[in-house]
Amino acid sequence: MSLDYSSLLYDPVYAEIGVPATLGAVSLTVIDDTRPKQLPAGSFADVRGMGPGAFARIPELVAAGIIQDDWMDAVLAFNGRSWKVRSYELRGSPNGEDQGEVRFLLKEIDG
Amino acid sequence: MADIREDILARLVEVMATVPNIHTVHRNNVDITDDQMPAALVLDGDEDVVAGNDGSRPSNRPLLVEMTPEIQIMEQSSAIGSDLTTFRRELMKLVLDDPTLKAKTGSNGKISYLGCTTVFGWQEKQYGALQMRFSFKYPLKPDDL
Repeated sequence: MSLDYSSLLYDPVYAEIGVPATLGAVSLTVIDDTRPKQLPAGSFADVRGMGPGAFARIPELVAAGIIQDDWMDAVLAFNGRSWKVRSYELRGSPNGEDQGEVRFLLKEIDG
Repeated sequence: MADIREDILARLVEVMATVPNIHTVHRNNVDITDDQMPAALVLDGDEDVVAGNDGSRPSNRPLLVEMTPEIQIMEQSSAIGSDLTTFRRELMKLVLDDPTLKAKTGSNGKISYLGCTTVFGWQEKQYGALQMRFSFKYPLKPDDL
């Protein structure tokens, strides 16, 4: 019998460090993954800034009626800021992709 | 004292500051933050002797040298492609037609555009970097340094 990673891992973690969010009109819990980002800008120079991102649980999204086709360009709001989804990474889970997480890669709404 | 290399690099920084919509200009600073963009960088370039180094004359003989500084524009924008194209056009006109730079290279020197490369990525906005390569050929007179 396999372990249920949603109840044993993801749900407790999201209960502890997750924050309230809205994706479009739907409420959910995300983990803020906004982090410093340093990228090359030519042969010698780098640009430092912030790379906004957030983790969400696939089962929570599905339960709220949000499918993968709805993710791109959706507005995700959390921690007082609103972003637009520019891309995403499916993070999988030992119980399968549908029971795992997605990492939303975000951008400024007018960016 | 006349150090044409330094004069050209210093003038390039001044020229970069006149490119429309540039927010900050840097020399040899390779650590740029997103709030400094649109940023222009001048990186002191390599210098090679291209004439006069045949070994048959005094060691302090005049030489003809060629310097290839790196010039970069960094910008973040929702229209990054057309923005970089505009910066490229303005910068090329300003560098190739600058009377001070032309005078510094002298009668047997020249300024040439060698090409450009681009880099793109994402932070809070899409950003892009335009790296333009120019060559400056000018006389180097050790006795004048």
